[in-house]
Amino acid sequence: MMLTGSVRSRTPLSVCATLLMLPFTAAGQGVPAGTVIENTATVSYDYAGTAAQVATNDASFIVAERLDVVVTRQGAAVSVEAGDTNRALLFTVTNTGNGSEAFGLVLDSALPGDDFDPVPAATPLYFDTDGSGDLNAGDVAYQPGVNDPVLAPDASVDVLVVNDIPGDVVNAALGRSELIATAVTGSGTPGAAFPGAGDGGGIAVVGTSGASAGEVGEYLVADVEIAFIKTQSVADPSGGSEPVSGATITYTISVEVLSPGVVSTAVVRDPVPQYATFAPGSIVLNGAPLTDTADTDAGEFDDAVAPTVVVRLGDLTMADGIQTVEFSVTID
Amino acid sequence: MSDKQRLFGPRRLFLAIALPIALLGGGATYAQNALDVRTVVQKEQVEVGDDGETTTTLVSAERVLPGDTVVYTITFTNTGDAPADNVVVTNPIDDSLTYVEGSAFGAGMRVEFSADSGQSFAARDAVMVTESGVERAAEAEDVTHVRWTLEGSLDAGATGVARFSATVD
Repeated sequence: MMLTGSVRSRTPLSVCATLLMLPFTAAGQGVPAGTVIENTATVSYDYAGTAAQVATNDASFIVAERLDVVVTRQGAAVSVEAGDTNRALLFTVTNTGNGSEAFGLVLDSALPGDDFDPVPAATPLYFDTDGSGDLNAGDVAYQPGVNDPVLAPDASVDVLVVNDIPGDVVNAALGRSELIATAVTGSGTPGAAFPGAGDGGGIAVVGTSGASAGEVGEYLVADVEIAFIKTQSVADPSGGSEPVSGATITYTISVEVLSPGVVSTAVVRDPVPQYATFAPGSIVLNGAPLTDTADTDAGEFDDAVAPTVVVRLGDLTMADGIQTVEFSVTID
Repeated sequence: MSDKQRLFGPRRLFLAIALPIALLGGGATYAQNALDVRTVVQKEQVEVGDDGETTTTLVSAERVLPGDTVVYTITFTNTGDAPADNVVVTNPIDDSLTYVEGSAFGAGMRVEFSADSGQSFAARDAVMVTESGVERAAEAEDVTHVRWTLEGSLDAGATGVARFSATVD
């Protein structure tokens, strides 16, 4: 007896403007939110000597929207001088949910644990429209609630955080500024639900990021010229390099004095991103592992106030060459 | 009690479903609608209690995210007044879903699988796919259809159930 059945998937038309969206790859955020998955079974049988066939009702459901976001910092700490204006830090906001989502952006330059507070510019957030990595005339200013970036799953947008540097900062002082991105549909406790707010009219559910993520960038006052380079490499569980849950990010921070003079008691303090967990035993200074505890060696993982990797480099001059600090985190 | 009665449920199903039809239809039944069939999709919700014990319940499929497991339950009832023979249930698996190994079952039914859009069916461990000219055993992702074949006939008034689970890709 011939048997047939029917199943169709429907992916909703994208309703987002593809404003400022970078090319993206499908990195496994799963079936897009709003997809209607239909299912009809077929039953065939013989009754009273006659073959018959009947289809069941369509048992369909809508794939819900998971709200998740990751913010990453692009590039090194920015070397600045006292009194500089409009100095930009480049960040990337990536939609790690499975739906098309708008994200609200906020900066925080009054962070604890640094040497000075950068002063947000009158217009402190821009999209890196021209892709240069720095603030230029062609970059579009971000206006909260007006041009919140709408990102497809896995899509990302580059954002510039712009601060002025106070005039009274001293050499080697560090100032931090954080970019925070939050899903417009809703955020909060993972698992919190927003009925009807997901793509395609389904439910929207807050993912493991809390649908909000921040990342800190750094300004380093460098009258003695210092090269301060922070790079990151991502290794995801499936062997790729996507910043997905479970992926390991290894940060490499290189510090080098490039001009005559002494940078006294140089300390690298790097906060662990809020969406990630420090990988125990991963701190390495110039190739030698350091313990996580505060003891006689040069570094530790300090979780007292906020999870932070601390490595003391001591007094540095050109003669010391490149100091390299490495540590790893796992994306939650 | 015969085997069939144990398999296909209590006699009250016959009273609840078959009797009203017999009264309304005067006993005349057409082959085209002798079986009443229905599919329900539910979400498998796993909860870990304080004692560490996991409890799995089925809830409505209102909040299904990628990675979640959904359960399809196909129910068929013989609303006629004579047995139905050669009852076969076929269910395609959506491209966005992956069959959960070992999940398909149905009391008194032989379960077979297809990895070629329903052209051929075999026991799970005998389903093969050919990839770049090389034949290999079908993975869960390769399964395109599940088919249940009722061993024996479905008595008048009797109900059968076929079920399988799939995860959302």
